[in-house]
Amino acid sequence: MANSITNKTVKNESVVLNEFDQPVKGVSLWQDAWKRLKKNKMAMFGLLMIIFYALISLSAPLLPIYSYKQQVLGHQFLPPSTRPAGELMYERQDYLLRAMANKEGRELNAVEIERLSDLRDSITTEKKILLSGEEILVHERVYIFGTDSLGRDVLARIIYGGQVSILIGLVGALASVFIGVVLGALSGYIGGTFDSLMMRFVDIMYSLPYMLLVIIFMAVFGRAIGNLFFALAIVSWLTVARVVRGQIMSLKNSEYVEAARSSGAGTARIVFLHLIPNTAGVIIVYTTLRVPSFIMLEAFLSFLGLGVQAPFASWGVLIQDGVYAMTTYSWLLWFPATAMTLFLFSMNFLGDGLRDALDPQSKNKL
Amino acid sequence: MSKYILRRALGLIPTMFIIVTICFFFIRLAPGGPFSSEKKIDPQILKNIEAKYHLDEPLVVQYVRYLGNVVRGDLGPSYKYKDYDVNFYIGKSLPKSLLLGSLALFFAVIMGMGAGMLSSLRQNTWVDYLSMSVAVIGISVPLFVIGPVFMYIFAIKLDILPTSGWIDEQGLKALIIPVFSLSLAYFATVARLSRASFLEALRSDYVRTARAKGLKASVIMFKHVLKGASLPVVSYLGPAFSGIITGSIVIEQIFRIPGLGRHFVQSAFNRDYTMIMGTVIVYSLILVLMNFLVDVIYGYLDPRISYK
Amino acid sequence: MNNDAILKVDGLKTYFNTDDGIVKAVDGVSFELRKGETLGIVGESGSGKSVTNLSLMKLIPSPPGKIMEGTAILDGKIDILKMNEAQMRELRGNKIAMIFQDPMTSLNPFLRISTQMIETVILHKKMSKKDALKKAIEMLDLVGIPNPEKRVFDYPHQFSGGMRQRVMIAMALSCDPEILIADEPTSALDVTIQAQILELIQALSKRLGTAVIMITHDLGVVAGMCDYVVVMYAGRLVERGTNDEIFDDPKHPYTQGLIKSVPRLDKPDVGRLFSIEGQPPNVIDLPECCPFHPRCNKAMDKCRTTTPAVTILENNREVRCFLYEGEK
Repeated sequence: MANSITNKTVKNESVVLNEFDQPVKGVSLWQDAWKRLKKNKMAMFGLLMIIFYALISLSAPLLPIYSYKQQVLGHQFLPPSTRPAGELMYERQDYLLRAMANKEGRELNAVEIERLSDLRDSITTEKKILLSGEEILVHERVYIFGTDSLGRDVLARIIYGGQVSILIGLVGALASVFIGVVLGALSGYIGGTFDSLMMRFVDIMYSLPYMLLVIIFMAVFGRAIGNLFFALAIVSWLTVARVVRGQIMSLKNSEYVEAARSSGAGTARIVFLHLIPNTAGVIIVYTTLRVPSFIMLEAFLSFLGLGVQAPFASWGVLIQDGVYAMTTYSWLLWFPATAMTLFLFSMNFLGDGLRDALDPQSKNKL
Repeated sequence: MSKYILRRALGLIPTMFIIVTICFFFIRLAPGGPFSSEKKIDPQILKNIEAKYHLDEPLVVQYVRYLGNVVRGDLGPSYKYKDYDVNFYIGKSLPKSLLLGSLALFFAVIMGMGAGMLSSLRQNTWVDYLSMSVAVIGISVPLFVIGPVFMYIFAIKLDILPTSGWIDEQGLKALIIPVFSLSLAYFATVARLSRASFLEALRSDYVRTARAKGLKASVIMFKHVLKGASLPVVSYLGPAFSGIITGSIVIEQIFRIPGLGRHFVQSAFNRDYTMIMGTVIVYSLILVLMNFLVDVIYGYLDPRISYK
Repeated sequence: MNNDAILKVDGLKTYFNTDDGIVKAVDGVSFELRKGETLGIVGESGSGKSVTNLSLMKLIPSPPGKIMEGTAILDGKIDILKMNEAQMRELRGNKIAMIFQDPMTSLNPFLRISTQMIETVILHKKMSKKDALKKAIEMLDLVGIPNPEKRVFDYPHQFSGGMRQRVMIAMALSCDPEILIADEPTSALDVTIQAQILELIQALSKRLGTAVIMITHDLGVVAGMCDYVVVMYAGRLVERGTNDEIFDDPKHPYTQGLIKSVPRLDKPDVGRLFSIEGQPPNVIDLPECCPFHPRCNKAMDKCRTTTPAVTILENNREVRCFLYEGEK
């Protein structure tokens, strides 16, 4: 008697209902994760910010910003403003001369008045040939983030510096994750002597004060970007290798790997086609959290004068410049520091969100 | 237990040996030597200098000689500062860095665990949100931003704390900004870590048992929860201290503190081999001892660890 | 009703507020417990049997959990559910003690057994540390821990699962509670140990005059040691009666199914073991119906649209099923 009508499964568009008319949930890992991630407001904010930064960095050559290396004489240390540089220069000169005159208890003299009017003339007429060959009225420029000690546009330097920093973060994270995943997966899958040698090596590397070695490396071998990548990559794959190895070890004896092995798949095939995709969650989370730490590392080295070299800039270089100038020209610190911090924030929020979404019961807080 | 400690302590020797060896040859891989970068020196004089510092001998002989000296506690003469030897500079600068680093670690752990405990007890209230927001700021804002920002606010604008210098000139006030800046990131990590582990412990079966016995919340917290929940923090102390060492290099740079970090960076730039080696050995020794201490504390806290 | 009931629970409702909706984990459960008696609460996992008892101890994690309504009168005088936290602390471990399913995790791994045992006695019986330790050793001896003077200073990981459950029992009984709540005390143990632990609980409760609430999903446990049985399904009571009534004459189709699905060694082989098809429902937003109807072989149209009320049969027996509506 108990049958046909009640035991129906109502397929209503995509919502599946059970016999109590309660929706039955889908079980896809990625869909589930995306749903959880969407609920996390801070992570979504982080994601949007990262997309924004990525768009700005990628389209930098197309944006209406000045060159990051063009130095303009007379434009040193202009404060952030929406008014043209000429006006600011004139005001500054005017202020300085008047202050000097005041100190001596007099009005501006003829020479000074003439100097001011000369300046006014040159501001309206002086042209400059840019690196691109284009000729412009140079004092018409507007520096909304101000200029630095060499008269370069801070906004442009932040954007191009961001390119460098983000690139270093991405490449560093991907390289370290790649090395770590390959070595960790092989170590976990092959096991035996290879594994124990590998882990011994990782242990020794762990006990080294590796940041000190990186500093020595950069100081002694020179500050080329290639060296920087090399120095960061060789020390940073250790943790990934350990985590991936652990994951692989626990997956190794699972049934689907048994199945692949019994159908004659080789070691490499099993590792790369079956095991690594199943650790994807952990790897994605780890990579996301790795990017900000690489950006910090690079900035740290740049701060010590061991990072990216002029005319290139990175956020770290800009912040270092800002720190030494902050007593009087504090915008040189605020803008790059904010740009960098905001990005690091966003990456950390996204990373945390991804971890919660992909691995809700996670205990490996990397 | 004491046997275990002894064995672990003896295990530190090979680790230090490996570090010294790697570092010794690593530096000498680089092109040029400590005296080659200076302006043209008469080759004869250069030869004399190199002979004086035994740089003309084969590398292996230099290595063995250096190792012998290090074992006797002599880190050799500085190649750059000719008047004193490395021991003198390290003896002068190490206490400053050590004070800075241990104060920072102390604050990070005490405040971090306090914040984590409060957050876990008041989960999803404003207390929780506030301390976790501070923690995220602490993790995301780099040291070399937070330091200058504090300096700008408290030293330049408000003028209540000194911008740089050390206790001998400025008094204890000189410590406030550097220690605070240095500890913030580790405070943040400890707070997040301990919040998670307090929450886990509070939800555990054994806390439910303790509550079912009629114990007070405070007794449960300090007697039943604290010990287990502090384990993740204890194992974080090793990495934290290594981070604080690197951080102190930057902090000493920003606040012009004449500590070990400044000597280290300068010697790296100067290729002052003995000075580099000396600072690296001291730093590594601190790190290795710290990790050893962490293991001992961990073993003391967790009775399940067996000493075999 | 009976005046010697030491605990009388009436209309208990405990809900959990989750992201997906309100989970009615316990939705109107009533029973009573008499002095020295053993009451069995049976149900599948998720039927609300554990939450019922955690509610009595007010140990529901809150939020999200909340006791919505109901009364639980202790000794015919006070309502536990209206007590404040300080009064509850006075009660817990003292008048009502509890032992839990997993002895591996229920003892604090970081503290010595001695520390964990004496704190209860010192707290509730105002004993000195020395006397409390003596009492702890005495209790360990009572539950059959060999060499208790030495083992009391061990850590939990130095005991086997069965031994730890014995420690839990010793700890729970050390303040002579009136009621012992045993929440699936044997589910995490080896089969051979299970019987020993059950016998121990039974023997000690008889000896100390403790009333026991035995929560289990195992009908075998109930048959062996309970005087009175409550069967729960989807947060509600479906049937209650004495042990003999339930086993000899189960009324509710769910109880009938449960009993048929227990392998019997004392009856001739009847072929395939019976099993109840399907899964218990998720108790969020359950519509008006009998929650058991999709799995019930006697379901009627009414069952799909109306929630059955409790019918009280002879001898104060209760069943929640339309089959017995109007019977008395």
